[in-house]
Amino acid sequence: MKKVLALSLLVLATSPAFAQDTLFTDMGGQAGIDRIVDASVENYLADPRISKIFEESNMDRVRAQFKVQFCQIAGGPCEYKGHGMAEAHKGLRLTNADFNAVVEDLQAAMDNVGIPFATQNRFLARLAPMQRHVVTQ
Amino acid sequence: MKKLALLLMIAIPATAFAQGTNTIAQKGRRFLPAEISIRQGQSITVTNEDEFIHQIYSEGLFDSEERRPGQNIVESFPRSGTFEVRCHIHPKMKLIVRVN
Amino acid sequence: MRLALSCFAFVAGLFMSILATSALAQPWDLFDGGKLLATGGVSQIEGAGGGGLANWAMITGYGTRDGVGANVHYTTVLLPDYTLHSAGVAVGLFDRLELSYAWQEFDTQEVGAALGLGRGFTFHQNIFGAKLKLIGDAVYEQDSWLPQLSVGLQHKENDRGAVIGAVGGKSDQGTDYYLSASKLFLAQSLLVNATWRHTRANQFGILGFGGDRHAGYSAQFEGSAAYLFSRRFAVGAELRTKPNNLSIAKEQAAWDIFAAYFFNKNLSATLAYADLGNIVIRDDQRGAYLSLQAGL
Repeated sequence: MKKVLALSLLVLATSPAFAQDTLFTDMGGQAGIDRIVDASVENYLADPRISKIFEESNMDRVRAQFKVQFCQIAGGPCEYKGHGMAEAHKGLRLTNADFNAVVEDLQAAMDNVGIPFATQNRFLARLAPMQRHVVTQ
Repeated sequence: MKKLALLLMIAIPATAFAQGTNTIAQKGRRFLPAEISIRQGQSITVTNEDEFIHQIYSEGLFDSEERRPGQNIVESFPRSGTFEVRCHIHPKMKLIVRVN
Repeated sequence: MRLALSCFAFVAGLFMSILATSALAQPWDLFDGGKLLATGGVSQIEGAGGGGLANWAMITGYGTRDGVGANVHYTTVLLPDYTLHSAGVAVGLFDRLELSYAWQEFDTQEVGAALGLGRGFTFHQNIFGAKLKLIGDAVYEQDSWLPQLSVGLQHKENDRGAVIGAVGGKSDQGTDYYLSASKLFLAQSLLVNATWRHTRANQFGILGFGGDRHAGYSAQFEGSAAYLFSRRFAVGAELRTKPNNLSIAKEQAAWDIFAAYFFNKNLSATLAYADLGNIVIRDDQRGAYLSLQAGL
């Protein structure tokens, strides 16, 4: 009887109704996020609207930072220890058009990786408030 | 007397130079100047006069912390030779240090 | 009418001179096309940026706050006893000011004959609109409950003053004033809009302004909700209340369910099933609403 009770509690505890927000898992965990970052960075570098933004940057470092940051934002077990968004982007003098172009390229990358639109929007909703720190022009 | 005065006039500025205002600015995501010659054992002071966070590293010598605009880094060169100093955030930045 | 046109011309001139003095290599750079797809809305029935019946707080076009956008639209509403055609142009300036002009033609078809006006008797309206974004950003401020808020006006002039007077209307021209709030709940893929409209227009102004039952302004509400299925495709519903100023023509709230498809930043199509209720002597005016918008 006790075993059944314990097992039932375990099942209940891991069922969707009791689950934490599932965004990290829904995005494919760290592997999914890594694929998204690699695909989106490829898009940024191929996008004539914004490729120049990255031309002075160490792209290996940028990719690695995105992977940690996106993992944290999606609710994964990561801690981004880089600089704040405002001071990291200040010198780039980014506009809303730049920010939106990055969003579009990120959306295309998530499409390619097979992330459902509704899930993409849950992630983008967490990125959107960065606009006020990242866009300085 | 004149000889002594002349010698002092040369020696004092020379030692002042040797103490080193070996200052390099990081500006526009570049090192300015991009080359410097210093004496063995001297150090360079790299000041971030840019709008970006920077750091400096030189293979086998040093790898500094990241520095915000307005902050400095001081690194010394105990061996002679020609060294490349770079920033790991901005790979196009290059400083040549000639140490004799 | 002259005052409204002068104000319109003044504001337009002011912004045109700002454009002219901007130091740009190419003036076409101003059309930066930088807004995300669909975030300028489509063209609402009076020519403003928004849905079909209901206004939005967004500024029309794809110009970001650093640029401009512009578009043209054509709309047709096919009802059992009437048709309504509308065409217009709108510009969005620096994601701050929207200026629009729409022309409307309302064909009474057989009802015209029944009323002794003649079969196919048409009413025309010229509608001049201006909308100013006050605060907020419907898209970026995902961490806030604050909606994007805009105020605006639509000045309408009808060409059938005599008929309007005969049916009890007080004027052949009038101005609607409104406050719109919009918010994109991105995590839910849901866009919500609400507008408070101060108006005395009868049937959007097609039957003039003010009436024998009620001559002055009243507060009306219009709202919409849309679910985003993809970057290009949204489905939603709208509701718009209207005053009931004329005793001869009972007026009801209008509603629709719509689907909007954004091919790209240059072209969108909206299809809706609309219920405009009673129009003059005919009930149950429900039919198809089709609209195309092309622009930058």
